[in-house]
Formats: sequence, structure tokens, C-alpha cells
Amino acid sequence: MLTNPLTKNITKDNIAADITRYLANDGYQGWRKAHSMAPDDIITLVKEGGLRGRGGAGFNTGLKWSFVPRGEGSPKQKFIVCNADEMEPGTFKDRLLMERDPHLLLEGMAIAAYAIGASVGYIFIRGEYHLAAERLELAIEEARSRGFIGNNIFNGEYSLEIFVHRSAGNYICGEETALLNALEGRRAIPRAKPPFPQVSGLWGKPTVVNNVETFCNIPHLVALGIDWYRGLGVGQDAGSKIFGVSGKVKNPGAWELPMGTSIREIIEQHAGGMRDGLRLKGFLPGGGSTDFLGPDHLDLPMDYDVIGKAGSRMGTGTITVMDDKTCPVGLVLNLTQFFARESCGWCTPCRDGLPWVVKVLQRIENGEGLPEDLELLQEQCERIGPGKTFCALAPGAAEPIQSALKLFERDFLDHIKKGCCPYK
Amino acid sequence: MPTITIDGEKYQVDGDQNLLSSCLTLGLNVPYFCWHPEMGSVGACRQCAMIEYKDSEDQSGRLIMSCMTPVRDGGIYSVNAETAKEFRGSIIEDLMTNHPHDCPVCEEGGECHLQDMTEMSGHTMRRYRGTKRTHRNQYLGPFINHEMNRCITCYRCTRFYNDYAGGNDLQALGRNHQVYFGRQQEGRLQNGFSGNLVEVCPTGVFTDKTFSAHFVRKWDLQTAPSICEHCAVGCNTAPGARESGNGHDPMLRRITNLYHHDINGYFLCDRGRFGYEYVNSPTRIDQVLSARNEELIGSTADTKDQLHRQVNPRDGVLHLSVQITAAQRKLRRIIGIGSPRASLENNYALRQLVGLDNFFSGLNRLDQHLLQLVNNIHSDNRITSPNTPEIETADAILIIGEDIYNTAPRIALAVRQAARNRQKKQAQDLKIPLWQDTSVRQLEGDPSPIIFIGTEFTELTDIATTTLFESPERVTLFTQALTQEISKSSKQSTEISPEFQKEVNHTAEILLKATNPLIISGISSRHLDTLNAVANLARVLSNHRKVPTKLYLNCGEVNSLGMIQLFNEKEGSLEQLMESLSVSDKEIPTSLIVLENDLYRRLDTPSVEKLLSLVDEVILIDTLLTPTAKRANWIFPASTTAESQGTYVNNNGLAQRFYAVYEGKGYIQESWRWLVDAVDFCTEKSENYSVLRSWKHSTDLSDALAREIYTLKVLAEIGPNEDFRIDGLKVARQSARYSGRTAIHAQQHVSETPPIKDPDAPMNFSMEGIHNPNKTQLQANIWSPGWNSNQSIFKFQQQVGGERKGGPSGKYIEFSQHSTQDSNVSEETSVKPTETSNNLQMLPIYRLFGSEELSNQSMSFSEVIEAPFILMHPDEISQYDTQEGELVDIETNCGNYRAEIKGSNTIPHGCIGVPFGLPGLESLAPQIPGYASLRPAVTPAISEEQ
Repeated sequence: MLTNPLTKNITKDNIAADITRYLANDGYQGWRKAHSMAPDDIITLVKEGGLRGRGGAGFNTGLKWSFVPRGEGSPKQKFIVCNADEMEPGTFKDRLLMERDPHLLLEGMAIAAYAIGASVGYIFIRGEYHLAAERLELAIEEARSRGFIGNNIFNGEYSLEIFVHRSAGNYICGEETALLNALEGRRAIPRAKPPFPQVSGLWGKPTVVNNVETFCNIPHLVALGIDWYRGLGVGQDAGSKIFGVSGKVKNPGAWELPMGTSIREIIEQHAGGMRDGLRLKGFLPGGGSTDFLGPDHLDLPMDYDVIGKAGSRMGTGTITVMDDKTCPVGLVLNLTQFFARESCGWCTPCRDGLPWVVKVLQRIENGEGLPEDLELLQEQCERIGPGKTFCALAPGAAEPIQSALKLFERDFLDHIKKGCCPYK
Repeated sequence: MPTITIDGEKYQVDGDQNLLSSCLTLGLNVPYFCWHPEMGSVGACRQCAMIEYKDSEDQSGRLIMSCMTPVRDGGIYSVNAETAKEFRGSIIEDLMTNHPHDCPVCEEGGECHLQDMTEMSGHTMRRYRGTKRTHRNQYLGPFINHEMNRCITCYRCTRFYNDYAGGNDLQALGRNHQVYFGRQQEGRLQNGFSGNLVEVCPTGVFTDKTFSAHFVRKWDLQTAPSICEHCAVGCNTAPGARESGNGHDPMLRRITNLYHHDINGYFLCDRGRFGYEYVNSPTRIDQVLSARNEELIGSTADTKDQLHRQVNPRDGVLHLSVQITAAQRKLRRIIGIGSPRASLENNYALRQLVGLDNFFSGLNRLDQHLLQLVNNIHSDNRITSPNTPEIETADAILIIGEDIYNTAPRIALAVRQAARNRQKKQAQDLKIPLWQDTSVRQLEGDPSPIIFIGTEFTELTDIATTTLFESPERVTLFTQALTQEISKSSKQSTEISPEFQKEVNHTAEILLKATNPLIISGISSRHLDTLNAVANLARVLSNHRKVPTKLYLNCGEVNSLGMIQLFNEKEGSLEQLMESLSVSDKEIPTSLIVLENDLYRRLDTPSVEKLLSLVDEVILIDTLLTPTAKRANWIFPASTTAESQGTYVNNNGLAQRFYAVYEGKGYIQESWRWLVDAVDFCTEKSENYSVLRSWKHSTDLSDALAREIYTLKVLAEIGPNEDFRIDGLKVARQSARYSGRTAIHAQQHVSETPPIKDPDAPMNFSMEGIHNPNKTQLQANIWSPGWNSNQSIFKFQQQVGGERKGGPSGKYIEFSQHSTQDSNVSEETSVKPTETSNNLQMLPIYRLFGSEELSNQSMSFSEVIEAPFILMHPDEISQYDTQEGELVDIETNCGNYRAEIKGSNTIPHGCIGVPFGLPGLESLAPQIPGYASLRPAVTPAISEEQ
């Protein structure tokens, strides 16, 4: 039984699986099968397969598709958009998939486009991902020449064009409505919801935006079926997932593993455990905008709801490990600098609150912090919490800060008491 | 209507409004920044946070942004909950990390929404210890200051400028806390509504640069309700004036918007906002002037200007009274020339003095006929004149020959909103509330049909679904064919090409399909046939749809439609006056009293010279030293709109009263008062003169007008007379905080001088009296405790964005006296241009800055008014041995003019576009539509100095 559908074409060599290799390994079988199905059946299949969005929010993909208006009277023009603006600190899974197996993404997009009735797809790719963009453009040409995309696919009536759009660079473009604004040439600012993109998205047309990895799950889900797909997961969630580890581990990297694999297995077996002389002090389970978890959470399975209950988020599933020789204040400062810089500037708490947090953290790190600064940080984290800002950027930025204040309070107090960073 | 509970109180609210505007309508104080009553909600500033409770059991509730929350029947909310108050304070604290503490030197101070909201939030302590972000400022033109450090990033400026007004040269640039609102390069803001940024900005980023030149705080301004005199739309304004501290005369210092639901709403155009400076112009007349005798002796009927000297006003009045007495004894004839830019009262006083037979409109025959035609059209009950909200809700608009952005700018802004009606319809279908501004704007929404046919369609081509640039003859043809198409009349015009017929059919289809179609036209194309055709189209459309057709007609000047009411069946044009003068008894000398009119803008120069040669004396009552003033024997200083009381009738037929904001400098007074003063000096007894003598108050004239002229009978109901009192008090023109009362005249006299009495209105030129705008709309100082900025207007509306409490001001005049038959102005009176050896037909084009007489004299306008130019189709320019950007000489029957030639694809072949009223080309305007010839300018060679 196939257990690594996402990475089966990925080798040690840094080359993309070309169309020949891709086809030789059962490529485009999912698309061929989907093309013979009714679009509604594909949506039901994906919904029941239990595929949850791999961009971080974990929303059921089939359910998301089902909100697109269909049938009589619905708009003719619809769009499928791939969110390839992978900018979450510590995350590098989509890059791997796009650079090494671009056809898998194209096949997933083609199936999704067909399911919702879109005739145009855009891959909105992070500006720094030059190699991935080039390989995708080449793959699009290959797929077009073989008739998997383009006009009258499989000699049927259905036609699809896919374009690669390179982002001008902004973390907020990972937010799907800001992405749509950027794609239209507007300022990358999240849109008010409702209307959701499925109803009024790109240029006001129904649009589905999915993450790269989400699309990559689809071809095999369609080709091999719900039971196989559900069977891939070892925990509550279905399918497999690319998990990654960065930080001072022996073997940082990314691996395709069943959903529900335990964190300990990922860090200790696949990443080889901590480098010699270092102890694990905490980790961000799913990217820079998730809450820190501590060593006592190591045995949790990587399932969306389990990690959620533990007080964090599985996010992108790429773990950032923090060791006992790294200053947590410095780490949080670094992350917050990133989020403050990447704020789109739309709403006040994020735009003006985060730079203030940066200044306070910088002060603490420099040994100039005051005891009341911790209270101020706590208060700022509440101000930028969920529901108080326009989008999820600032609440995400608050997550590592508020959890660090809890888990590493000692370190913050030491900075203030000693008047310097104890790690330097 | 949903019932909601706020802080334990139950209220009934309008379900179409969001929670924030519902709270404001209820009079509750909820602070906000990014929300705007006209522009809706975007949820950016997070200042309007409130708490929503699930049910009565819920104790903690959920923080919500009230501007983004629809009211829910049975919903339970709180403004005063501690968590909401704390959060609102925290937003102020965040904003203040970057906002400078420069209130004492900031021109927004005292009417700053940020100051108000900071106070309201209760946030008083700053914990931020870091540096503030700073920006460089830009030069944005002569109207607007830029001080970006004060920005709180509410996005109102770009939302207004780009989304609402259609501008494209002001952007939000950059990101995070460095977002910069400015232009890509320094330079004048190009959009003609840029002045609204001053009022839209909640703090001091955009401030009024013309006001800076003579700045005082809002609380130190004296104000009264006024009407903008720079076009015929009739926008309501609140001019502000104040003495200067050094004992100099009081001056007009700025114009701000005064909300009128049916006309201007929250916004003015830049001509209206910044054109006021003519009042303080160096060419302003503030003394009685008399032509010097030696010049008079030396001059015959040649074109030499008179030299004037100041005389004692008494001498001037005495002279006038001598002439009037002579006229009474049939020893002299006095002719009166009125004006469409003078109030009804002033026109009427002159008519009363000279008698209808001797009263003329001061317009040329074409303009007079056009206005009479407009007046006839209005009297047809198949036609109604739409107000601004009605224009904004039209689902198809046909604009015929009227470049509204330049001739009736506020209407262009309304049309721009109408372009979004299909988008709004889609939003309603998706159950998205219309106040959800970004949500609605991101909808696909096809543009609503807006069809233009005419010469120029400035700044609106982006929203037009069809633009046809055609000659006036073709515009007429189009309109006639459209009328035939709609009436399904069998008579098909043979002159129409199939392509043209296609456009006609397409337009007919749109008009017939629309549920709420609208037609806009006017007199600006100076073409009677077009206007006749438009009227027929409107009638036929009405016959077809069985409801009156909404037809907006632009009449050009502030009181055009009012003045024409004084003429009944009489034509009253200047040409008629000349005809009358040339056959009159030459033995009796003639005096010509010209009221607030520059004849050189009405007739071609030779005709003006001829007219003046037919009279023995010219007496002018006016505000500025115009070319006519230079020819006058006597000049009396007239007050401007801001210095006087009177009534104007706008394009809709709405008669509106304006009130004196301040007493003008020098010997300025209302024109009618000069006439009454002169009559007072007369020894002669006559019934007519005793009527004039009885006029002591402005309302005496408006009451007399209401009695005498049927169409103007509503004048008696427009405003209270001077005896009106509220709680025994008049209305205060000065705020309660007005400073310097005892000191401002101290250098003249140590004792405090009593305030000047206003004989016309129940208002004081002091801080005594009623201040609350809810008690009377005479109070133009829009202020409420805690709400020092113009945002306080909601306190005086029936609901947010609704009518003012006390109903709309102004009354519609009655047009119904005239016959309602389909009478066109008859062929023989219609004015046709006579073709001469000159081969290029002149078409009028208009400019926001440059086409209007008074505003052209405003100091800041010198930078924005274009140098003399004409437009020609680029393909034709080379035929005249010249090229774009070169100077050309234009020759007409009446003179030679030099201007730059510019290319424009909108000008039909065989025509040139002539900017109406543009300085340097003013006297070309009355020759339109006439013919001109063109040749490259021959500049005399300048000998190089060795």
C-alpha cells in the first residue's frame, strides 16, 4: 500500500520529477479519474476523505469547495488559486513539494478546478521561490503539451489554464483574501468577510484558495479512494503530512509521515534528537505564529484538535525546536520583529501594537527592561488577540509571545533583574 | 424595526444600519475613526469596540467592532462595559505611540476628531517610551497642507479620494506602521474634490492651505449658513470670518461644508471650497468710485477705460437719487441690468426701481432663451428635477452635452456613486449590508449604465459605459433619434448612419429597461436645439413609462433659475435692450444701472461697446473691478454672498436663503440697499418709491417677491424674518468660546464697541444667543459637547446620513404657472450662428478652475487656472501649419485672441473647443457657438541685444 503519496517522486537529488517520470509513476491518474466523475461527486469524495487544509487552519477542504455556487444562475467564471506564498517562519514544506514534484500540485489543482467549475488557476508563489516558480512554469508547459491542462482536456469540453504569479513579497499575502487583493494588483490587505472568496473572490468571481500541500493530497485521494486515504493517518486526522523540524537538532529536515505521528517521534527519530550538549526547552509545533509547547507535550500526536487542546496550533506542521542555550527573549523578539514588519498596516492593534511590543522586547533583551514591561507585554498580547484585530496575523504574532511569557517567565525576569541577557 | 438593548436600555433601531450608526443615531457617544457616515465601514481603526452579549445570562460578552456589526433584533450590547472601554483606550494608546503632541501648533486643534475621541476614550496616561515614526511631507498644491507625522492611518483619505471621488493620485504607500498617504511624486492633487480631505481626515494631516494664510481656531470664527455661489447646484456652506487682530477689516477665512441631505451631503467641490478668496481680493471694490471728470470730457465713445476716484458714499447716493428723480420727471430714462449671480432680492429691487419695461437680465439672447426653455421644461408635470440622493440611486443615466464635472461638480460626484448601483444590487442579493464598504466594493458588480454624448466628459470617462463625442448638431440628432426610437414613431431620420442608429437603439434599450432612469443636460453646450430635443426625449420617456422623467438641467450660474422668474413673458436679453435703445428717443438721456454683472462676459466686445455708446451714463453696483467696472461712471461696492442675506434658486428650483456671515469691509452693502438709499434721497413722491422706501430688511424684499411673483410665493416661507426669536433670543454667529471680544478693537477705542446689528436676520454678530444647531438651522457652527469637529453633524440629523432635524432647508419654487404644452422655443427666436469666412465652429468647453467668474479672482486659483488654450482634434492641427503646444492666433468677427493649441480626440472635425470664461479668453465665450479662423501665432521678432 502506498504510504508516501506526497513524496513518492522525490529523490535525494535536487531535481524536479519531469512529466515522463511523473507519468511513469501513475501520474495524472487521479485527474483522469476525476475527469470521468461528476464534479459534485469529487467534492463529496474530498469532503468525506477528511482532508483538512494544510495551510494551517485545518478546515475541511471538500466543505470549503462545496460553498462555491453551482448550477443554474451561478457565475460562469470561477477561479482556483494555489496559495504558495509560504512565508511562515520555520516552514519549508511547500517549497519541497513545488521544487521536486511540480506536477503533483498541477494535478491537484486541475481536479479542484474541475470540481468547482473553474477554467483558470493561479499559483500565487512567494517571490523568493525562484526555483520553484521556474520548475512550475516548465511543468505547466509539459502538462499542456500532453493535454492535461489547456483546451479540451482528455478530448472533452473542459478547458483549464494555470498561471504562475510571483508575489512581490509580503507575509500577509498568505492570508487568502489579502492574496486575492495582491493578485488583482491591489494593496495586500485582508478583505472583509462575508462575502467569502467561494462566493466573491478574485475579481468578484467565486474562487477557492488552497495551500500547495492541500492540492498535493488530492490526486491520490481521488485515485485511491477514501478508505485508503483515511487509513494513512494514525491518529484522528486522515492522510499523511509533511512534517519538518528546524532548530538545533542533529538532522533538521522534512519528512512525509502519517497524520497523528507523535511529536517525540518526529523530533527524536526523524530529526535525530537534540545536538549533543543541548536540551530541548520548548518548541513551536506549527510555525512562528503558534504557541510554544514544552517538553511535557512531546508525546502528543500531531493532530489538529489534539494540538489545539494543548493550547497551541498544529499550523503548518513544521516544528521549530528551541534548546536551552538559546535566549527565548531573543527568539521571541526575532519573531515579533518579523510580524511587526509584515503587518499590512490596516488595523491599529497590529500596526501600532506590534512595533511597540518589539521595542519592549528589545529593551528587555538589552537589559533595559522594567518589571512593569511584562505586564505591558501581557496586555498587548490581549489587545491583539482573536476578534480584536481585522485578521489572524496579529493573534498569530501574539501566540509565541504569550506562551513564552508563561513557559519562560524565569528568563524574562532574569533579563530584567540582571540588566543583561544571561545567554550572551 | 429591531429592538435592541444597550447598557440596559431598550431602543428601536433601523435594521439597515450597523450598530455604530444606530448608537450615534440614538445620541450615544461611541468613538470611531475609519467609519464615515457616507463611506461606510471597513473595520480598520478598531476604535468603536463594544460588547455583544449572547443572551441575558451572558455576563462577560464578546468584544465586537460596532461599525462591522449588523443590529440583531433582541441583541444585547454595551458601550460602557469596562472591557470595551479599556480596549478603546488601548487603541488610543497605540495610536499615540506615533501621533505627535503638537496640538498647540496644529491647525486641526479645536476641531480635531482625534482630540475628541481621545477625550472620549478616557485614555490619559502614556506608557510608550520609544521614539515616534516620522515622515517627510509633500507639496500637494495650493489648496492642501500635508503633515504626515500626524497620521493615524485610518485610510479615510484614500477611501474618499480614490473609492468615492475617483481620484488616482493619492495612495496608501508602504506597509506596517510606516504606511504613507501621499502621491508618488510631489504635486497638486488632481481630483476636483481634494478639499474634502480636510474634513474627512480625522486629524491634521490634510489641512486647508488657503485657511493657513489667515488661520484662526474654529471657535474664533464667526459663521452663518450660506450657499455656494460658484455654480448652480446650490451646495450649502458654512463660511467662517473674523476680524484681524491688528484692527484691519474683517475677512472671510474659509469655507466648510454645511450638510444638506438633498444637495451636497457631506462633500463640496474644490471650486466651492477654495474659490471664496475673491472676497478678499485686491480687486475688490469697497468704496464708492466716481469716474474722473477730466477723463470724461476727453473721452468720446471710444474704448478707453475710466479712471476712478473714491468719493464720499453720500455723493454717490445723491447722484443716483438725482438721476432717479429725473427719471420720475420723464427727463431721463433709467435702464436696469440684472444678473444671474445676484440674489433674487437685488434683482427684484432693481426691477422695482426701473420697472419691468426697463429691466433686462444681463444675459445675451441665447442664454436668455436657454434659461427660458429650462424654465418651461420645469413647468411640465411629466418632468421632475432629481436631487442628489435621487441621482445617486438612478440605475441608468444619460448625460447629454453637459460636462458636469466642470459645470456642476457636485452632481458629477453623485453620478459617480450611481455607477456602483449594480454592485450594490448584487450586495443586496448576497445579503451584504451596503455599509460594509470593502465587502461591497470587492463584488464583481458590472458598472451601471452611464451614457454620455457631448464634447467633453471630464474625470468621468472611467465610469461611463458609453461615451460619444459629437458636435452639438449630432448630439441633437442623436437625442431626436432616441426620442423616435422610444416613442416608436414611424418617422425615421434619414441622416443617421447605421452605427449611430445602433448607439441610439442601445441607449433606448437601456433607458426602457431601467427601473429608475435619469437624464442630465443643461445650458452649457449653448445649443437650443439640443435642449429642445432633450425636453422632448424626457416627455416621450415619461409618456412611455407613465411616471415623470427625472431630468436634471444645469443652469450655469448660482441664481440663473431665480432671475429668470422675474421676466414672465418678456425676453429681457441684452440684444433686446440694444434694439430698444436704438429706437428710443435720443433727446432723453439714459442711465444704465448694471447690477453685479460683467457685460464683457455676456456679449462680444463690439456689442458691449455699442451698448455702452447708446447710454449716457453707466452706474455699476458690483464686487470686483471687472472690465465693465472700468467703463462705469459710478461704481457702488456690493456685498458678496458671505457678506449679505438673500435668496438663490438652484438647478432643482430650490430657493435657498443665505445669511450674512460678517459685515463686509469699507462701504460694502447689499446692492438693493444702495438703490433704497438713493430713493430715500429723492424728493419726488411716487407709489413705487414708497414701496422701495419701506424696505428695511432683506425679508421685506423676499416677502414682496413672494406676493408679486407667483412662482416665488414660497419665498415667504424659506426662513424666519428678523423678529424671530428662540426662547427670546437671536442666534449667535460666534461660538461661546469666541475670544478677544473686549480686546480686538482696543487699539481703536478703549471701551468695548457694541456688536453691529443685523437688520436682516434674527442673528447676532456676537456670541450672545442660541448656539445649539438642533434649535435652529440658522446655527451653522456645527458643534456639540465633546464633538468639536465637523463629525458632530450626526447630532443634528434625524438619523445618521438622514435629513437635518427640523427638515430640509429651502423651498421648491412653483413652476406650474407656465403653460405645459409641448412648446419649443420657436424657430425664429432661436439663435443660429452665422457662418462667415471663418471656418471653425467654436464649441464651449468648461474648466472647474477658470470657467467661473468670481472664483477666478481667488489667489490660490492663479496656480491652477490654465493659460489660454483651445482644443482641436489632433488630426486637424497640422492643417493649420502648427502643432500641439504652439501658440495660435484665433480670429473671430469680434477680435483676435492668442492661445496655445492642444490636441483632443473628443473635439469633432471642423470645430475647436474654447474654454468658457478662461482668463484671457473671457470675451470669446459669448461668441460661442460662432465661427473662428486659425493661424500660427506670428510673434514679432525680438532684436537681440549686442
